[in-house]
Amino acid sequence: MTPDTVAQPAVPAQPPVNADLAVATRGLVKSYGRHKALVGLDMSVPSGKVYGFLGPNGSGKTTALRLLTGLLRPNAGTIALFGTAYTWHDRKRLFRVGSLIETPSFYPYMSGYENLLVLSAAGPPTDKGRISQVLDYVGMGGRAKDAVQTYSLGMKQRLGIAAAMVSNPDLLLLDEPANGLDPGGMVAMRETLRYFTRQLGKTVVISSHLLHEVEQLADVVGIIDSGRLLREGDLQQLLDDAGRVKVRVAVADMTRAAEILRRFAPDRPLYGIDSGEQAGQFTVGVAPARSAEINKALADAGIFAMGLEPGSDLESLFLELTGSGGAVHDRPTSTSLAPLGGPLPPSPGAGQ
Amino acid sequence: MRLVRAELLKMRRRTATYVTFAVALVLMVGLFLIAGAAGAFDISGLGLIEFPASYAFINEFCFGLGGLLAVVYAAVYVGADWNWGVVRNVVARGESRTNYLLAKGVALAIVLAIAVVVMYAVGIATLYVVGWLFNVPVASPLRANGLSDLLTNMLLGYPVLLERAALGFGVAVLLRSQIAGAVVGIVLFLGESIVRLILTGLALGGSVSSFGDNGFVQKGPEWFQYLPISVGDYVINSAPGNSLSIGGGLEQFVLRPVPLPEALIAVFIYLALATLVGVVAINRQEIA
Repeated sequence: MTPDTVAQPAVPAQPPVNADLAVATRGLVKSYGRHKALVGLDMSVPSGKVYGFLGPNGSGKTTALRLLTGLLRPNAGTIALFGTAYTWHDRKRLFRVGSLIETPSFYPYMSGYENLLVLSAAGPPTDKGRISQVLDYVGMGGRAKDAVQTYSLGMKQRLGIAAAMVSNPDLLLLDEPANGLDPGGMVAMRETLRYFTRQLGKTVVISSHLLHEVEQLADVVGIIDSGRLLREGDLQQLLDDAGRVKVRVAVADMTRAAEILRRFAPDRPLYGIDSGEQAGQFTVGVAPARSAEINKALADAGIFAMGLEPGSDLESLFLELTGSGGAVHDRPTSTSLAPLGGPLPPSPGAGQ
Repeated sequence: MRLVRAELLKMRRRTATYVTFAVALVLMVGLFLIAGAAGAFDISGLGLIEFPASYAFINEFCFGLGGLLAVVYAAVYVGADWNWGVVRNVVARGESRTNYLLAKGVALAIVLAIAVVVMYAVGIATLYVVGWLFNVPVASPLRANGLSDLLTNMLLGYPVLLERAALGFGVAVLLRSQIAGAVVGIVLFLGESIVRLILTGLALGGSVSSFGDNGFVQKGPEWFQYLPISVGDYVINSAPGNSLSIGGGLEQFVLRPVPLPEALIAVFIYLALATLVGVVAINRQEIA
């Protein structure tokens, strides 16, 4: 028995790896010098699904994808691809993986077609006919013969997606694939990836900070921050668990209203805005179905809600988990949040 | 094989390939014309441009200047994959890093072989033009041992060219940069020549007492004659017509040349080492 296998039971409660998982990482650690980019990542990507990998800038998303594609060596932990362990030297396992890591990289002086041609010479055997097919697929067929240096960022991004798909992989790892895409391109990418998973039964991991995009596309999400997975699971289930109700009352009633509203979600932060156009608005972290209950409680206390908006969104969940500074719509515009209690949201611009 | 074909396509499409080659050709043709005007080709005193002696002039450009250009071009060619981030694509597709780098090396060797053949063809043709322009008879390049001398020149020069290209290649992979690879390659190339000059001077200082009845007694070969650029020069100088050619200068009077077999073995060792450095480096690298 090696020291590694002895050490494994000491890792706390790692989820099991099974063949239904296209990707599974357990206790994955990666450091760059003193900086720890990943501190025990346990990620489980079910086969045939779109997995939204979310996290603020510098949270470790790209590092995780680089580890999955053999570009980096982990300091500790394990990676399993398609149910079996994958190591640095097991390069042929990557024949089933297509990836777009960080920015699309191509030979600028060659055409899009030629770039895919030279790329497909490496790795898994690839049918030349598929090059034109994927170029048409991403809407680049018309510019396939032009040099890449004449492409816009969005076109390079499309070419990057085509490059990831050229060998007909079972797993696509896409790092910020919507970068630079115009709205038409984003819709096309969404449709392509949906087809890829739902019709062809393949798996997609899409790392992004565009929460709305991921919300529309992903079946499963994983939220990462500071190199650790904070939450992972079925998107709809997570959204149900992370519902919220926006309530608007008169500014004069805010202190009393805050006392009542806090009782509904004592463990979750209560956000209130006491000045500006949205003055009097609270965001309560409860299931949307409880909005009527909230309305009644306020009315019983003689406070009349001027607005009541139940809902749930990935952004709220993301911000709540990561404490990221993107909650502009939920952040008070003055310092008078403090009397309302609850955790103070981070200052504007934090983590951006 | 598909990797080599892909690498050849990359080089075929790249402007740097043609620019580098054009620099060598333009300088060669231009200087041949100037030398022709000055009557400098009459090295045999026969009043003609005589082969195989004239191969030395072509060798100067093909393997002398060509060696420097090969260092730079190899560094730029291989280092660009790191600069443009395309090495990431290849590794992430599961391609063997060793195969990828060796394919690059093989493709580079093919392109350099083509360059040598074209340089020789243009060089010989230019000498004919020079002869015609300046009314100097040109002896046939194939007269006497012309053909075997021509082949010997090319066959001895080519491994040296490869060795020099491999230096730029290895450094660029190690430093993951085309610019850094090219700069370090040039510094190695020129730096070694300077170091060799200084060390030859020092060797000469210790040999003044070596004048005997039979004239100057040569020393060596010294250790610095086995440095990568120097030892390549000895291989090229061993070819017919090249005795006073590349890497000549002071040291040929002071120091014994490195014998051809030894020099050739050293060239192949440097070629293998530089390639090995590249292969080990790429296999150890984490690619950001």
